[in-house]
Amino acid sequence: MIRSHFLNMVVFSALVAVFFAFLTQNETRDRVRISVIIGGSMVVLSLIVAYVMYPFPLR
Amino acid sequence: MPESPFDQILSPMRPPVSPWMPCLLAWVLPGLGHIYLGKKQTGLVFLAVVLATFALGISSNGTAALIDSRQPLTVLATFDNLAVGPIEAISRFITYRRFVYRLPEDETDPQQAELNEKVRQRIRSVTYEYGNTFLLTAGLMNMLLILDAFDIAKGRKD
Repeated sequence: MIRSHFLNMVVFSALVAVFFAFLTQNETRDRVRISVIIGGSMVVLSLIVAYVMYPFPLR
Repeated sequence: MPESPFDQILSPMRPPVSPWMPCLLAWVLPGLGHIYLGKKQTGLVFLAVVLATFALGISSNGTAALIDSRQPLTVLATFDNLAVGPIEAISRFITYRRFVYRLPEDETDPQQAELNEKVRQRIRSVTYEYGNTFLLTAGLMNMLLILDAFDIAKGRKD
């Protein structure tokens, strides 16, 4: 069991990224590129959304 | 761009494959449909990814969904759980200690109280939401794999 929120997010992003890379691409080079783009985007966008949501709910 | 008849004549002949067999195999074990279609490496990666997602879901105290007539979305969640194939029974047995798919409608039924209590025990875990997300994602991944195997068998995709 992974108890760290961040580690859960990174592992989830990595699994989804590898899955879609293999589903949509046939060449190894393209698969690596798409994995990095999808996985990186998921982690970075999640952190951005987390910071934007930080002040909410307003009290 | 659609293939012209000339392209179809020049393209290598693909042996006829029933699209239903790879779909069935993909449901039985994630990635098996791709292995059957000759994509061994891709199929093994899919198997590893879906099984890892499913295993993380179980270890994070995710629960198998039950169909509850008062909550229509539980039908979709249960269908999604089933999409991962027969291994879904593992998560169901770990959650409820038996193979149950529907919550009894009668609120006085002691079975309903017992099933709800088993879910409550897992909800108390801090990783419950992550577990559910991993379990549901494993089912969604396998649905895409089944559709992908169908497309490959039909010759719509390489």
